[in-house]
Amino acid sequence: METTMAATRIDRGSTPTTAIYSEGGELVFERTFAAPRELVWRAFTEADRVSRWWGPRGTTTTVVEMDVRVGGTWRYLSHAADREDVTFYGEYLAIDPPAEFTWTFMFDVEGVGPMGGPETHTFEDLGDGRTRIRTISNMGSPEAIDGALATGMVKGAIETWDRLEELLAEG
Amino acid sequence: MDMQPTDPLSTTFAALADPTRRAILARLADGEASVKDLSAPFDMSQPAVSKHLRVLERAGLIERGRQAQWRPRTLRAEPLRDIAEWLDRYRQHWEGSYDRLDDYLRDLQETKEHRDGDDDGSDTHRPG
Repeated sequence: METTMAATRIDRGSTPTTAIYSEGGELVFERTFAAPRELVWRAFTEADRVSRWWGPRGTTTTVVEMDVRVGGTWRYLSHAADREDVTFYGEYLAIDPPAEFTWTFMFDVEGVGPMGGPETHTFEDLGDGRTRIRTISNMGSPEAIDGALATGMVKGAIETWDRLEELLAEG
Repeated sequence: MDMQPTDPLSTTFAALADPTRRAILARLADGEASVKDLSAPFDMSQPAVSKHLRVLERAGLIERGRQAQWRPRTLRAEPLRDIAEWLDRYRQHWEGSYDRLDDYLRDLQETKEHRDGDDDGSDTHRPG
């Protein structure tokens, strides 16, 4: 794995499949998938594919809109039996198919307002039919990352990527 | 001098990042106090403590009393409640549990040092 000059890379509970670490206010998830990069790109950028894997197990996702171009907006609705629907939304800030895109990942919190920040997904072609996905979420501060991790999000995030893996295996 | 906040809670998190400020909040959780009282436990000058108090005030975590001449500082709970709301939304989406979140929020309220996040249920913690 390449190393960076960043002073403080802190492991945040990596699992056998997924590296999870933080650098300052950025939370990073990294995992290698046995699928070509073009297929991974489509899983992230085509609405009918996104709806088949996005979100933890036990949830379903409706893609309300996704206009995959710089300045375009996206909106997903996440359903689960035991809670109200949650809307996630944002704007595509940068797109470089099939290698990388950056969007804002936002949701509204009652009494607080919109929360979230920029999130970059990179898709690295490993040259052997596999692709390494790296998701970098800008949470703003290490303290915000502490809070986010305390919600048990790692389990949900890994389930989400397990579902992605299953979709990619279907081709 | 400060970076532009990226969201409504970034100012709160920035204010909570410092152990002295967390200790001040912990003291104020027991009731209002003067700057002199708040400075007493710390090996630092009153102006240094006042600087921390200004950060907390800007973040909306404390306010100055109006009535008394000594302007006692009091804790404002709203920003901490906002953090709790945000995290609960997060937990819901990720289908997470309350177990660790409760601990985290308790620590936040009591403004202790954060525990290291190492008990997410997985038994391996190796990088990469």
